[in-house]
Amino acid sequence: MKSRIVSRRTVLVDMSRVAAAPSVFGALIMAPFNAAAQAPKVLKSRGAQAVSVLDPAGRLGAVDGDVMQAILPSLVKWKAGSRWEWEKDLATDIQQTDPTTIRFTLRRGAMWTGGFGEVTAEDVKYSFERIADPAFKSAYRTDWDSLERVELTGSHSGVIVLKRAFVPLWTTTLPMDSGLIVCKKAVEAMPEKKFTLDPGATCGPYRIKKLEPRRSITLERNPQWNGARPAYDEIEYIQIVDANAAEIAYQAGEVDYTQVPLSSVGRLRKTPPPKSKLLVTPSLAYWWVGMQSESGPFADIRVRRAVQHALDVDMILEGTFLGIAQRSTGLIASALVGHRKANKVGNKPDKARARTLLAEAGLGGGFRTTIGVRNSTEFLSAAQIAAASLAEVGIRAEIIPFDTGQQKALAGDKTGRWKEAGIHIGRFSMLPDPSWATAWFVSSQIGEWNWERFSNAEFDRLHDAAKSELNATRRQEMYERMQDIMEDSGSYVFLTHGASASLYRESVKPGLSPDGQLQKFADFAPV
Amino acid sequence: MLSYTVNRLLLAVAIVLVAMLILFSMIHLVPGDAASIALGPRATPELVQEFRNRMGLDKPLPVQFAVFLGNALRGDLGNDLFTNTPVVAVILRELPHTFALASLGLGWSVLLGIPLGCFSAAFRNTWADRISGVMAVSAIAVPSFVVAIYLLLLFAVELRWFPALGAGPAGQPLTQLWYLVLPSFALGLGWVGYIARLVRASMLEVLADNHIRTARAFGLPERRILYVYALKLGILPTVTLLGTGMGRLLSGAVFIEIVFNRPGIGKLVLEAVNTRNYPIVLGAVLITTIIFVLCTLAADLLAAKLDPRVREKL
Repeated sequence: MKSRIVSRRTVLVDMSRVAAAPSVFGALIMAPFNAAAQAPKVLKSRGAQAVSVLDPAGRLGAVDGDVMQAILPSLVKWKAGSRWEWEKDLATDIQQTDPTTIRFTLRRGAMWTGGFGEVTAEDVKYSFERIADPAFKSAYRTDWDSLERVELTGSHSGVIVLKRAFVPLWTTTLPMDSGLIVCKKAVEAMPEKKFTLDPGATCGPYRIKKLEPRRSITLERNPQWNGARPAYDEIEYIQIVDANAAEIAYQAGEVDYTQVPLSSVGRLRKTPPPKSKLLVTPSLAYWWVGMQSESGPFADIRVRRAVQHALDVDMILEGTFLGIAQRSTGLIASALVGHRKANKVGNKPDKARARTLLAEAGLGGGFRTTIGVRNSTEFLSAAQIAAASLAEVGIRAEIIPFDTGQQKALAGDKTGRWKEAGIHIGRFSMLPDPSWATAWFVSSQIGEWNWERFSNAEFDRLHDAAKSELNATRRQEMYERMQDIMEDSGSYVFLTHGASASLYRESVKPGLSPDGQLQKFADFAPV
Repeated sequence: MLSYTVNRLLLAVAIVLVAMLILFSMIHLVPGDAASIALGPRATPELVQEFRNRMGLDKPLPVQFAVFLGNALRGDLGNDLFTNTPVVAVILRELPHTFALASLGLGWSVLLGIPLGCFSAAFRNTWADRISGVMAVSAIAVPSFVVAIYLLLLFAVELRWFPALGAGPAGQPLTQLWYLVLPSFALGLGWVGYIARLVRASMLEVLADNHIRTARAFGLPERRILYVYALKLGILPTVTLLGTGMGRLLSGAVFIEIVFNRPGIGKLVLEAVNTRNYPIVLGAVLITTIIFVLCTLAADLLAAKLDPRVREKL
């Protein structure tokens, strides 16, 4: 055996080997933990529909908005949480200096992907004016209806000039999808200057990593984003249309967040899935019972009032929503300006009064009518309970299930088939501004979405005026008055705003709008 | 045989045309203006009219149908109303998933149905026959979506042996095959029963034939008689049924696609009907009808090839 020569060199080498050994050993031990720590943090969230159009001017649904809010910038964005508020996004400063002037300054250094350079005020001007332009034919032109022009005062500053004061600008235009900014250079290079799933350039906390049409979209953190860094490295937004399938997918561990049907809430509260949380939030949407008031028995206000007194709203809500949804006092939920404190017709049904009114109208013997409803479980349940209430006063109602297209077609039918409509139970979704509630009940909506054919000049005037009313107290009074007018007409019985239920992992803090309908991926965080 | 084939092809074309005519009439009879639904509640009347003009919805129905047929013959099925993607591209993206699902479903039904049918025939009029009969009828009676939900709850949620939803990552065929196991079984289970009963009935007929008696007289093992001599003839009616089965499974796949959140033609058409996305509905049903007709034709031709008696009749 060859003897080893001991020298200063060999001692140093040996010492270095001894010193390195724990590091190597430690690295081997820590490797799995390091891998876990380096593994991207991925959130898997469910979308109820396919992401179809990521162009703010042509978007189709809320799921489009969820993605757009993550990949496109805006001056201000809606804030996740329990109150409808906005926070600055790309704007370092934004102020309304008078009713028709809003000045803004952009943060510098926000870069478009694809080498399109910095986001500038020119992009802001382009984005807002293209939606407002009648020639562009955006379905969202009304969001920017009051826009006169956007003036540029610098490369990163400008002025939004309005034709008239427009309060929804701050509630539903700027913070929401119509306030998103697209890259002028990228969009101008596109045929027809519009796009569906490829924005050309994005600038937001996330960018698109992978898109499988009608299946899922994967977003990854945008390294160029110079705003607040989102907590998750990736968001996988998976389309699952059926709510029950989504709940099963959650239980199988394939999504971390999903909305669930209200019918599941009772069961989930009793036996929640392990390490999960259930969040039930009041919705902004509004349900109501309406009566077609231009022909047939409901043309007589006494008959309409009889229905208002006959319906047992509490029973309808108990049977349909199983105690989860509260009774409403109008179109506008308590979170918004314009919420009414109470209904004018009492909360308890008054069958005797209903019979008296019918007798005065010459229908003391009762009559036949229909209740038109959307063809879904909740609507059919509500209709059955309503029909039972009405039967007690002699109104025999046949339930007719429709899909939305059919109901609208019937209402707008030019041959007069709309006269066949009697009662219907409706639900409209809602944005966080009261004008979006009253918009569908003005006279011009008769034959479109005003299925009651309700027409009141004061209502129409108040609706137009309230959009420009900057005084919150006065605006409150205006919307309260509008709802009073609706109820006084006898054509409406307000039911509820419903609720939304969300199921998510304990390890996730969701970033949701106050009504639980919208997801703000940048605000989701692991706990 | 050639004239039979040509006649069947001409009949197939006629069937497709009639089916498209009926479908075209039906979708336009459903109330609900496509333009209003497509554009949403915020569309102005001018926008709605412009959309109708652009999609040709303002033309008379016979003209719309003629335009559609003319374009279809050129391979142009129009564009998706919302995303402007060519309908052909959308269908080609979804169709392979439904085809794979239906094919594997049929595979399950053949894999389980034929042995079950042979077993019933071999042990005819015994308790084993009665039990397998009950199993077969139960498989037919239970709706596929009920089977799907229970399979999901047991194997995907409780046991986590299989994935719950989707088709698996693209470009990984083995993983996608794994994702197909539960949905295809749910889809094919009903046909296990059909095939089992059919195989049993035709096997019993064949087992009564003279050549089987002769084989038994020669002392051949019963298993060989059953699976080699009898099954070859007994399976012929099943071949014809498989062609129809493929078509039925293609159309029945929609429930499975919804429960398992799988991509496919069924889910595509359902969503398109709800949103009045007519080009997708027409294009997808046209393609599916053609496939159905071709599958049936292929099954008939295969039956003719396998069975000389059928060839003689032709």
